[in-house]
Amino acid sequence: MSNPARIVTRQVKPLLSLNENEARRRVFGLYKAWIRQVPFILQDYDIPKNAKDLKMKIREEFNKHRTVKDIRVIDMLVIKGQMELKETVEKWKNKGALMFYFKDTVEPKPTDFMSKFMNGTD
Amino acid sequence: MLRLPLFRAISRSNGRLTSAVCFHNSAANQQQPQQQPELIELFIDDKPVQVPPGTTVLKAAAMVGVEIPRFCYHERLAIAGNCRMCLVEIEKQVKPVAACAMPVMKGWRVKTNSALTRKAREGVMEFLLVNHPLDCPICDQGGECDLQDQSMAFGNDRSRFTDINFSGKRAVEDKDLGPLIKTVMTRCIHCTRCIRFASEVAGVDDLGTTGRGNEMQVGTYVEKLFMSEVSGNIIDLCPVGALTSKPYAFVARPWENHRTDSIDVHDAVGSNIVVSHRTGEVLRILPRVNEDVNEEWLADKARFSYDGLKRQRLITPMLKIDGKLQNVEWEDALVAAARALQDLPPNKCAAIAGCMADAEVLVAVKDLVNTLDSELLTTEQEFPKSGAGVDLRSNYLLNNKIANVEHADVILLIGTNPRFEAPLVNTRIRKGYLHREQNVAVIGPKLDLTYDHENLGQSPDIISQIKSGSHPFCEVLKNAKKPMIILGADVLTRKDGDKILAETQSLCKNIEKTVKTDADWKVFNILHTNASQVTALDVGYAASLEEVKKAKPSVLFLLGADENIKKEDFGESCIIYVGSHGDNGAQIADIVLPGAAYTEKTATYVNMEGRAQLTNAAITPPGMARPDWKIIRALSEIAGHRLPYDDLHELRDRIAEIAPHLVNYGEVEPSNFLKQVYELAKTTQGSFLPDPIDIKQKSLDQFFMTNAISRASPTMAKCVQAVQKQKQV
Amino acid sequence: MAGVIVRTLSVPKRQLGLLGQLVNNQQSRSYADAAPEGKKVGGPLADEDRIFTNLYGRHDWRLKGAMKRGDWYKTKEIVEKGADWIINEIKVSGLRGRGGAGFPSGMKWSFMNKPSDGRPKYLVINGDEGEPGTCKDREILRHDPHKLIEGCLIAGRAMGACAAYIYIRGEFYNEASNTQVAIAEAYQAGLLGKNACGSGYDFDVFVQRGAGAYICGEETALIESIEGKQGKPRLKPPFPADVGLFGCPTTVTNVETVAVAPTICRRGGSWFGALGRPRNSGTKLYNISGHVNTPCTVEEEMSIPLKELIERHAGGVIGGWDNLLGIIPGGSSTPVIPKHICDTVLMDYDDLVRVQSSFGTAAVIVMNKQTDIIKAIARLISFYKHESCGQCTPCREGIAWMYKIMQRFVQGNAEVHEIDMLWELTKQIELHTICALADGAAWPVQGLIRHFRPEIESRIKNFKGQKVAVTR
Repeated sequence: MSNPARIVTRQVKPLLSLNENEARRRVFGLYKAWIRQVPFILQDYDIPKNAKDLKMKIREEFNKHRTVKDIRVIDMLVIKGQMELKETVEKWKNKGALMFYFKDTVEPKPTDFMSKFMNGTD
Repeated sequence: MLRLPLFRAISRSNGRLTSAVCFHNSAANQQQPQQQPELIELFIDDKPVQVPPGTTVLKAAAMVGVEIPRFCYHERLAIAGNCRMCLVEIEKQVKPVAACAMPVMKGWRVKTNSALTRKAREGVMEFLLVNHPLDCPICDQGGECDLQDQSMAFGNDRSRFTDINFSGKRAVEDKDLGPLIKTVMTRCIHCTRCIRFASEVAGVDDLGTTGRGNEMQVGTYVEKLFMSEVSGNIIDLCPVGALTSKPYAFVARPWENHRTDSIDVHDAVGSNIVVSHRTGEVLRILPRVNEDVNEEWLADKARFSYDGLKRQRLITPMLKIDGKLQNVEWEDALVAAARALQDLPPNKCAAIAGCMADAEVLVAVKDLVNTLDSELLTTEQEFPKSGAGVDLRSNYLLNNKIANVEHADVILLIGTNPRFEAPLVNTRIRKGYLHREQNVAVIGPKLDLTYDHENLGQSPDIISQIKSGSHPFCEVLKNAKKPMIILGADVLTRKDGDKILAETQSLCKNIEKTVKTDADWKVFNILHTNASQVTALDVGYAASLEEVKKAKPSVLFLLGADENIKKEDFGESCIIYVGSHGDNGAQIADIVLPGAAYTEKTATYVNMEGRAQLTNAAITPPGMARPDWKIIRALSEIAGHRLPYDDLHELRDRIAEIAPHLVNYGEVEPSNFLKQVYELAKTTQGSFLPDPIDIKQKSLDQFFMTNAISRASPTMAKCVQAVQKQKQV
Repeated sequence: MAGVIVRTLSVPKRQLGLLGQLVNNQQSRSYADAAPEGKKVGGPLADEDRIFTNLYGRHDWRLKGAMKRGDWYKTKEIVEKGADWIINEIKVSGLRGRGGAGFPSGMKWSFMNKPSDGRPKYLVINGDEGEPGTCKDREILRHDPHKLIEGCLIAGRAMGACAAYIYIRGEFYNEASNTQVAIAEAYQAGLLGKNACGSGYDFDVFVQRGAGAYICGEETALIESIEGKQGKPRLKPPFPADVGLFGCPTTVTNVETVAVAPTICRRGGSWFGALGRPRNSGTKLYNISGHVNTPCTVEEEMSIPLKELIERHAGGVIGGWDNLLGIIPGGSSTPVIPKHICDTVLMDYDDLVRVQSSFGTAAVIVMNKQTDIIKAIARLISFYKHESCGQCTPCREGIAWMYKIMQRFVQGNAEVHEIDMLWELTKQIELHTICALADGAAWPVQGLIRHFRPEIESRIKNFKGQKVAVTR
C-alpha cells in the first residue's frame, strides 16, 4: 500500500472498536448471544430445523466472514448481526425470512436447452 | 341495397364528389387528377391552422391537438351529427355548431373552450345522463366508457334531475342480437354508431331505429339475430354499455387486465389484435388499429373463439400404446419419436403444415427433415407447383395489398367468398363498392355478399372465355382503370388447380396489356384462407400431398394439420402430431407432442399479402405443452441431429438466412416478378375439369368453425346454432 | 306546413352575406325603427286586393272555376318572360316565406338560379301543415289548388326546376285528392307536362302524401320523407340548394308562398309591396282560433293590429277584450304574449320579434282568462315531445324532461327554484339541435315563464298549502 493511502486509512474515524481485540470481543459476544437464542428461536418459529441445524447455520454464517480484517467492516457486520438478532428475538421476522438462510437447498436453474425444455422454463 | 347510405357524408364544398355519387357518368371526372385546392386558414382557440376546404371543424381542431368531445362521430363511419356533444362556438355566430359535421370556412375563429361551448357541452351531457341508468358498478363498459370519461371531463358535478323522485328514468326492453352481443338498451344514448356500422361496413341492414322522440329505440324491429361476420365490432363502437360482449359479460374490468399485442391467425388477413388476459387466462380479444390490414375492425371468429383455447387442449405428450393414446412424460415421447427417426433412408420423413403453423416451427421442421435427406414438405391446403410454383412470391400472394382492394374499380372473384374467408378484405371491397363505384363479379356458386355483384357462372371455362374476349364481362374489364382479379386459394386444391392458376394468370396478363395500369398496380391476386400458407410457401414447402402419399414416409410430422389427412393414406407411417388441439390430426397420431396456441408463443406469421407480423406470448402454454419449434429442436437433439439454434434469436437468424423478409416485421416486401410468373404460367399443361367451381364457406354458419381452435370453442358452436335457427325462421 | 321548423334559415351563411346585417342578427334587429318610409300600420284589406278568392270553398275549385277567378291567365307570358324577370318581380314585391321563418323568397329562389352542373333541380312544396293552430295551407290545397299548381310552374321556371313535389300531410285526405285532381286537369289542359302552357318549358308536378309526422314539415326531413326514409332532418350544410332531394339542388317552399306568386307576377311586385309595412309586405292568411266568438281563416293585409284582426274577423274574444289572458300569435311554437302587449302589437314579422315573440305562420291562438295557461303550454309540450324525431340529444331527452316538469307545474307539485331550472333547460335545448323543432318546443315555455311566472308560483304555493292542510 502506498503511503498516502495508508495515511487515509489511519485517519478514518473508527465505528466502534478501536483495535482488533475489541472487535474480536464484539464478534464473540454476538456469537454467544445467537447461540443462546437458539432454543427460543425453535420455540417461537415453526421451522423444520433442530437446534443442531441452527447452531451449524449460525457458525456457517460467522465463518463466511472469517477473512475480514478491517475493523470497521467487522464492526458493521456485527451491527448488522445485532439487528438481525433483534428482529429474530422480537419476532419481527416471519418463518420464511428465517428459512431464507437455508435456501441453498433450492436447485439452480438449468442453462442448457434440453434441461430448460424438460423443466418448461424459459 | 343502398349504395351510399347517407348523403350527409358528403362534404358540401366538394361539389364534384357530390355529383359523382349521383351519376355514373360524372364519376370519371373525379378520377382526373384534381388541382391542389387552396388551403383555408382558420383559428382554433386562437391557434392558426391551415386545412384543405371541406375539412370539418373537428378534424381541423385535431390537427392542432385540440380534442373535441364526441359520441356519435366516428372516423370510419358516416357523420350523423346527432349527439350534439361536439358543439363549439364560432365567433360572431349565434348558434354553436356541431364540429363533427361543419366544414370550415375561411377566417373562422373556433372557440373550443369558451363559456358558450362549455355550457352547451354541459347541457348535452346532462340530457344524456337524464335517462342513463346509474348502474356503472355492474356495467361491463365501466372503465372504458366514453360516457363515464366525458361526464367526468365535461359534465356537471351535481344532478338537477329532481324528477327522479316523481317519474324515474326511461327503461327499455333488451334486444336479443345473438350469442355474441349482450344488450342493455336502457343504457343506449342513441348515437347510432352501431346502425351506421351495420349498414355501411357490415353491409347488413339489420339495425335501425324504431319509434320517435324519447321512445326511440335502436334494434332490429323484429327480434332476430344480427347476421354478420363482423358483428363484434359494434361492441367496440358503442360508446356506452348498451352493447357489450356476451362471452365477456361480468368477467373482468379493463384496468385489471394485462394487454398483449398480437396477431390473429384464424384467417390469412393477419388482423392485429390485443389479447386481454389475467391470471394466465385469455379473457377477450380486441382489434388493434392497423390501417394497412384490418383498419380497426375484427372478424367475429377472431374475436370470440378464444374460449376454444381452453378446450380440447393437448396438455401432455402422448404415445399410442396398445392402440390407445396414453399420457407419458416428455422424455418418453421424445425418445419414442427419436427412435422412429433413427436410420431413415432418404425421402422417408415427411411433414404437413396445418393452417396455424408459425414460421419458426416451419423452419425448424424443414431443417430437421432436410437433415434426414428428405424434401417431403407440404401444406394441408395444396398449392399448384407447376409454372412458377413456390419459386416466385408473386405467384401466391395478394400482390396488390389489402389496403388497395378498396381502390380497385373492377374486382373479379374466382372461387372465393371473401365475406367468410377473409371478412376484413370483404369490408374493403364493400368500402370500394360504396364510395368508388366498384364493380364486382364472381365466378363460382351463388353467394350472399354484402354488395351487389354479378355472378358469371360456375364453370372454370368462363376464365378462358374472358381471356379470349368472348365473354360479355370483357367489356367491363376493358373499361376498367384499376382492375383486380382475386383467386381463391381453395379452388386451387382441385385436380385442375394448376390449370386454373395458369389460365387466370394469362387472363391477368391480357388485362394488363389492354388496360394501362400503373406499374405498381397488380391485377393478379390470391386470397388465402390459412394463416400459415404464405409462410410455408415462402420457406419452401414445395412438395404436393400426392407426392407425400406416394413416398409412403416412415415418419410423418403433422404441424397442427387436421384437414384432408386420413389414416388410410399413411398406413405404414409413424405419425407425429405437433399441435395445440386434440382434433382430427391428433386422433390418428402415434405420438402426440403438445404445442402452444398463437396466444402462448412469440411467433411469426405472414399474411396473404406477404406481411410478416409477430404474435406475442400473452400466457404460458397449458400443462406440459411447449412452443412448437422447441419441441422440434428438442427432438432433433435426442435423435442425434441437433439443430443449431437454442433460442428465438438464433432461430430468427436462421429464418433470415432462408427468407429475409420473414423477419422484416410489419412491412410488405414488394414482389416484382409478376411478368416472369406470367411467362412461367405458359408452361402449364392440362385442361379444366367439368366440375363447377365450388366454395366451402357459403353461408354464415359455415364461417364460424373452420379450424381446431374455433371447432373447440363453445361460443362458436352457439353461433352456428343461432344462425341455423335463424335460417329456419 | 310546420311553422317553426322551417324557421332555420335554409341558405348557407356566405350567401347570406348579401343580406348583411338584415338576417344575420335576427334577435337584435328592429326594422320598425330602421324601416324606410311607408305605411305605419296595415289596414283592412280591400276586396279587389284579395288573392285567395275561394278561401271558403263557396265556388268551384276545379279548373273551370279557377280560370273564371283569374287563375292560369297569361301564365304562358309570365313563364316566357324568364327566370330573371320572375325573380325580380318577387324581389320587388318583398314577399317573405310564409312558412314561419320569413326568409325573403326572391333571394331564396335566386340561389337556385345558377348554372346547372348536370343534375336536375327540384321544387318541393311543403304542404305538411302540422303546427297546432295553423290551418291555412289546407284551405289553399282543397279550395284553390290551381293557384298552387300555377305557382309551382312559375316558381319552378324561376329556379329552372324540372319538377315540383307537393308534399301533403297524411291527414289531409281531401286536400291531397283535390290537388291531385287539379293536377290531372292541368295536365289534360296542357298547362303542365311537356311544353307547359305552350311556353316550351317542360314541367311536372307530383303529389306525395306524408304519414302524419310533424317533423316532416322541416325541409330536410321532408326531403328524406319523399325519398322514402325516416323523416329525420339532415345536417346542414350541405343545404338543400346544394344537395337536396335525391342528391340534387332543391328548394323547399311553403304552399302559401308559391300560391301567391302568380298573382304577384300578374299584378306586379309593386302592388304587393305596397300592402303592409315596408319589409313586411303583402297579404297573409290568418288563422284565428281559441277563445273567440267566430274562429276563422281570413286573408288580411300584413301589419294589421292584432286587436283589430280579432275584433273585425273573429267576432272578438269570448267575454270581451278585457277578458283576454294572452295570445299565441304565430302557431304553437311561438311564445305567448300577454294582453297588455296584444293591445298594440301589429301582426307582422318585425313587430312580433320586437315583443319577443314570432310571426310564425300567423296562426293566432286566443286564450281568455278562463284558460289554465300552464296546462295549455304543458299540452303543447306534450305535442312536441310526441313529435320529436329523437335524433338529437337535447331535443330527445330535453323535451321529455321539460314535459315531466310542466306536468308537475300544472298541479303545482314543484319547488319555486325549479322554474329557474326549467328556464335554464329551455336555454340548453334551444339552438343546440339539427333542426328547429327543439327551439319551437322551448319557446312556448320561455314565453310562459317570461309573462306568467307569478301564476306558476302561486300554484306551487297553493299546492303546498293543500298538502299541509291534508297532513293536518
